[in-house]
Amino acid sequence: MKEQGVKWLQLRMLGPAILFISLVSLYPFISGIIYSLKDGSLLDSGSFVGFANFAEIFRMSEFWKAFTFSIGFTICSVLGSYVVGLFLAMLLNMNIPGRGIFRVALLVPWVVSSIVSMVGWRSMIGDQTALVNTVIQAFGFEPILFLSSEKWAVFSVIMVKIWRSFPFMMVSLLATLQTINNDMYEAASIDGAGKWRTFVSITLPQLKTATFVSWILMSIWSFNDFDVLWLLTSGGPLDATQNLIIMSYKYAFIKSSTGIGSALGILSLIVLLALALILMRVQKKED
Amino acid sequence: MIKKPLIALVFLFLLVISIVVNLPVITMVLNSFKSNTEIMTSTQVMPQQWTMENYLFVNDKSAFWQQFINSIIVTSLTVVATILIGALAGYAISRFRTRLTGSFSVVLLLLQMFPFVLVMLPLFLAFRSLHLIDTLTGVILIQTSISLPVSVLMFRGFFDSIPGEIEEAAWMDGCNRWSTFTRIVLPISGPGIAAVSIFTILLSWNDYIIPNIFIKKESLMTLPLGLQMFMQQNATQWGGLTAAATLSALPILIFLLFVQKYIAYGAASGSVKG
Repeated sequence: MKEQGVKWLQLRMLGPAILFISLVSLYPFISGIIYSLKDGSLLDSGSFVGFANFAEIFRMSEFWKAFTFSIGFTICSVLGSYVVGLFLAMLLNMNIPGRGIFRVALLVPWVVSSIVSMVGWRSMIGDQTALVNTVIQAFGFEPILFLSSEKWAVFSVIMVKIWRSFPFMMVSLLATLQTINNDMYEAASIDGAGKWRTFVSITLPQLKTATFVSWILMSIWSFNDFDVLWLLTSGGPLDATQNLIIMSYKYAFIKSSTGIGSALGILSLIVLLALALILMRVQKKED
Repeated sequence: MIKKPLIALVFLFLLVISIVVNLPVITMVLNSFKSNTEIMTSTQVMPQQWTMENYLFVNDKSAFWQQFINSIIVTSLTVVATILIGALAGYAISRFRTRLTGSFSVVLLLLQMFPFVLVMLPLFLAFRSLHLIDTLTGVILIQTSISLPVSVLMFRGFFDSIPGEIEEAAWMDGCNRWSTFTRIVLPISGPGIAAVSIFTILLSWNDYIIPNIFIKKESLMTLPLGLQMFMQQNATQWGGLTAAATLSALPILIFLLFVQKYIAYGAASGSVKG
């Protein structure tokens, strides 16, 4: 009797959350699969075409370009933001005067909206009169087309993504760093371990869980990035900075090809699952 | 003991890094006080002639304040809904450990992976037939649903840290589980609620994707989308754009000053518990 009551209460407490979350997961997931098997548009639901959309996607060179860029963009962003975040977290973990203020200042890239940060970055690298180019020209070099030459655009979007992501890495790692017992460091220094040795044998192992979780989350967020790429370059020039998400957005909402758009979404999900599985495998092996 | 010169060195380094990292925002704010011609031609970082004309332009000519109010409405309702629904679910998962609640946590992590087009396209088509396009309700509904998975996890982590003895004492005194939750647990959940609020406020106030898909009318746009609209319509008004962007970021920056302690807590509990 009592157990029954608990179960009922549990269901009532979870119910609203399950309902809302289903709205943005279960329902779109099932409809998404159905759309991906049809040749519909935004105005017409279309008819079933089997796996024709997927077959067409695999024949597009645009897809393979976006696929490669997605993977490269994700790896560079995760590694870059991790290295910067870890370094700053270790500095902030030291007893530095005013570190509270530094921590706030270093969080700014993460808390401003994507559009605000893009307005800021355009003031920095938007055109030939932007700040960075002004500095470059002051030193007598040619201005760089950061957003309109292919190579520099790829470089720029990765830098901006790292800029937006490192604060998350920093706060996650800092929270763990602050829990590491000082005794361990003292013991290490008594045993004559150097700075590097202490870092490798004490700090890094302690950070293992936090590192793993932040890598998984950051991989997902970088792979699924839309804001930075769309607002900075819209995937251009010549699709050089187009990831799978931008590509599927273009097909679904601009070219009104819901079949191709949804199929691209499903492919992205599969790639992401594979990426997460690889990361989990690596972590299992480490343990 | 760390040596003094090292501390001074690290301090200087952090100072320089903090400025460099904030350069895009600093440049934007400084540009908002320059005239449009000065922005296009001058190579100086500091304004040669401080002017408020950009702010007056934003104030007079655009739907900025309407969009500011829209953002406040959307963010506050999303936060309230997320806290109510998220606290209930987080408590259920924390206290009643069954197979149902166990798998729920795994599902929550998986949800993080959904590419947004896969989510938004079916919702866009469904909302269109439900006449929820161009309504703030539609945006609030989706933002709440999107912020719930992480919020539930954060609440679970917080409730896990509250010892069960308090509740057991309440049961002894004849409280049932529901009133234990509302009268005993919720009143001491301030830090948990704060962490979830911060996460949700940032997500909702800064959200660009959802309004971009579900709002077409300029008078119903929230700030991020309004800013992009501004950028497209007034390509030459770079000063006005930087002024509008500065105004829209100001509440979030002030907010950051007050809540920075909790942000670390939220990031840690939200992610490590995942």
